[in-house]
Amino acid sequence: MNFKLTEEQELIRKNMREFASKHVDPIAAEIDENSRHPAELFQKLAEGDWMGMPIPAEYGGAGADYLTHIVAVEELSRSCASTGFTVSIHVGIASMLILLFGNEDQKKKYLIPLAKGQNLGAFVLTEPGAGTDVMAATSTAVLDGNDYVINGTKTFTSNGPTGGTYLVFAWTDKAAGRKGMSAFIVPREAPGMRVGEHFKKMGLRSSQTSEMIFKDCRIPRENILGQAGAGMAMAMAGFDHGRVGIAAQSVGILQAALDESIRYSKERVQFGAPIARQQAISWMIANMATDLAAARWLTYHAAWLKDQKQPFSKEASMAKLFAAEAAMRHTVKAVQIQGGYGYIKGAKVERLLRDAKITEIYEGTSEAQRMVISGNVLR
Amino acid sequence: MPTIIACFKWVVDEAYIRKGSSGDLVFSTVDFKISEYDRNAVEEAVRLKEAHGGKVVALTVGPPGATKGVKDALSRGCDEAIFVADTSFENLEPSQTAEILAAVIRSRVPDFDLIICGEGSGDLYAQQVGARLAEHLAIPCISFVQKLGVAGVSLTAERKVERYTEITSALLPSLVTVLPEINVPRIPGVKDTLTASRKPAATVRKEELPPVGEPRLQTIGIAAARMDRTCEKFGADEAELARFADALRKKGVIR
Amino acid sequence: MGGIWIFADTRGQTLELLNVGHRLAADRKLNLSAFLLNDPDGAGDCISRGADEVLLLPALADDQSLEAFLPVLVEEAKKSDPDMFLFAATARGKELAARVAVHLETGLCSSCTALTYDPERKAVVMERLAHGGAAVQKVVCRTRPVMATIPPGAFEPAEAVEGRSGRTRELPAPPPSRLKVLERKIKAREAQDIGEARVVVSVGRGFEKKEDLAMARELAAALGGEIGCTRPLSEEMHWLPEEACIGLSGAQVKPDLYMGVGVSGQIQHVTGIRNARVICAVNKDENAPIFSVADFGIVGDLYDVVPKLIQKLKQM
Repeated sequence: MNFKLTEEQELIRKNMREFASKHVDPIAAEIDENSRHPAELFQKLAEGDWMGMPIPAEYGGAGADYLTHIVAVEELSRSCASTGFTVSIHVGIASMLILLFGNEDQKKKYLIPLAKGQNLGAFVLTEPGAGTDVMAATSTAVLDGNDYVINGTKTFTSNGPTGGTYLVFAWTDKAAGRKGMSAFIVPREAPGMRVGEHFKKMGLRSSQTSEMIFKDCRIPRENILGQAGAGMAMAMAGFDHGRVGIAAQSVGILQAALDESIRYSKERVQFGAPIARQQAISWMIANMATDLAAARWLTYHAAWLKDQKQPFSKEASMAKLFAAEAAMRHTVKAVQIQGGYGYIKGAKVERLLRDAKITEIYEGTSEAQRMVISGNVLR
Repeated sequence: MPTIIACFKWVVDEAYIRKGSSGDLVFSTVDFKISEYDRNAVEEAVRLKEAHGGKVVALTVGPPGATKGVKDALSRGCDEAIFVADTSFENLEPSQTAEILAAVIRSRVPDFDLIICGEGSGDLYAQQVGARLAEHLAIPCISFVQKLGVAGVSLTAERKVERYTEITSALLPSLVTVLPEINVPRIPGVKDTLTASRKPAATVRKEELPPVGEPRLQTIGIAAARMDRTCEKFGADEAELARFADALRKKGVIR
Repeated sequence: MGGIWIFADTRGQTLELLNVGHRLAADRKLNLSAFLLNDPDGAGDCISRGADEVLLLPALADDQSLEAFLPVLVEEAKKSDPDMFLFAATARGKELAARVAVHLETGLCSSCTALTYDPERKAVVMERLAHGGAAVQKVVCRTRPVMATIPPGAFEPAEAVEGRSGRTRELPAPPPSRLKVLERKIKAREAQDIGEARVVVSVGRGFEKKEDLAMARELAAALGGEIGCTRPLSEEMHWLPEEACIGLSGAQVKPDLYMGVGVSGQIQHVTGIRNARVICAVNKDENAPIFSVADFGIVGDLYDVVPKLIQKLKQM
């Protein structure tokens, strides 16, 4: 078993680290404080081919394998979880779904600009009444002549306010149950779609999240993605990819928490010695480092399985579940280690803790992950 | 259309060196990188190529594990790479490195127009290899260059000397060593890194070159630099600042 | 034949090299020879400060750079076979030394801060910094001549002694070199030479805007000193000229008092202040590395502390 990254993957991680130090670290606190989407940063990410890493070159991407993209998301999230997340949604769900299920015309028209980072992709599934219970959705898409007409309200759409290409899920045949939902590519200009309420969040504040309101939103019928009724299956495939991305994001947050904890505990002197010498602290750090290693290898393994073209739903869920809960658990400890200083705005661990919480909720709550995993294991 | 050689060294990334408890240096968890100033050399070579056409050959000497460095250099815009590798090349000194580089250039890239080196390596910072290499190849040498221009068969270099800037010209082929202020090296994009391994990269074995001279310098010790200071801390309120001013007065550094 | 040879760009640097050269020559009863560039009046000064022989190099044409002397230096060295050949570690000195070393087929120890003859080893032990300033390396040279470059300011100028005698020798002009100097632009000295300042106040990234440096200037004035900075402030933000930059690739300072304000204390900067007599720092991050190399460290916001300090100093 080869547990080493390739030289290319190591170089790419290094380059992302340098990029993040230079372009992300200096603004991470500000874009969190002001809930700002840094368009100029995403422009730079696009220039470095970071917005379409696993997309084949013929569709505008860099043609890397998925693990390489995951390593980059981890490294980016280590500097800013919001930025890492935005890239993950854009690449791992929106772009991947078009790659996997789109036809040639759709790939040329929508995937190439996404892979080049010319606009942001969004995944539009969740509704006010349909979170974990996806089937409780009420949005509909009705065929009317040469168009589909979408009606409904979606919520908690990441990249909602800033998106350019939206993958929207709606019922085309409610009676068909699980085989009755379809997916559609909805460009920003489509008439009848508008951004609704903009949410002010506890964490991940630079990522823009909103409602999306569809009132007789018209799109050409050729914008249906894949087969009519295959929406649920495609959403599941989307989640598999997205969850590995969130796991990577959580690993990045964990790594940042560990970096901060090591640095602080070596420098902070109480009772005449650095607090790293106190067992209470050193054990917290030992636990953090151990869970980080476990989370990282679960994540890399899931990505590796996908690159081997093997099924990876269970592993993606396990990685996401474990990494998210570890990130939450240990960012709490990281603040504890820094005491009062960790509680103050401006301390990196203060932001890490607020950012970590959402990883246990979105892209399938930890509870939903347990459903997936137990469903798989108890078959 | 010029052929430009960019020399680089694959060095320990000093950010990873840790101090052991007894003052020794711990290298067990180090990572490597292209030496900082050599990145500027590679960047300058690639920029000149982008402006004038031609090609950039990246050249390095080191132990066989430095293959990643070769890929790194190729991902920065170099067209091909030559890597002189041998396990005995772990701790070469500048005189040896320069001899090896000269031998490789004579046999593999004899028709070069320009050689660009960093002003010194990030680890030992001896600042000798470039100048020595120029002397071996009997070509003009301009060191500590902060601005470089090539026109036809001549180059013009702005050189930072202590009291002034010297604007110097020489005919190609020549060698320059560059300062970090000459440019800001690019961060390679993902595609650049992935396509690097498809570019021609030749490994030259020690046996294919004339034998390397013995080292002339011998390191008899290397230890963490120490700075033993009082390390007394003060707060920022009036009483503490008064105490601080007092401490300075006691040391005789203020009246 | 044999002897200790020294070569420097300026007379001032020559006098510093005479200091270390004289000690090494005396230890082994060798002659000390110093090159002087276009400075025949300086010969007497060099001799009174330890040179047994002064080798006078003539003026160069305007379009010639110092490296034109390379063939002269090499020829003289091959004729006289010195034991040691020391160069000032200036830009031109470093380059010349390396090129001379190739012709003499010998090693060169760069930027030596200490040179001591060890009679047991029968060799000169040379010390220098490595790994970006994180380590001290000790080196001996097995070949002859032993060559080293020595940073300006590493040694005090040699003291003059009454009644010393020595000889001078004029060397011929070299043939023109292949390099042509088109222009020399004297850098408008925007800052006083901080290498010589008794007090240095250094500013770092803790300062939010260029205008705020005025506060640091006031503090420096109150202390009777000069302003220096860390590399980002001069090389990236261009808030101060490059002469103000202190560190590995900038100035080495040895003031009585160094105060780093809003300076984190990266090794590349700290390398430039090691020889300060008293090191102080002001930083709001109590974990900043500068505090582990400072004698007196004030933990506080510079925007609060500096005005208070200025007030206090004015009252005294």
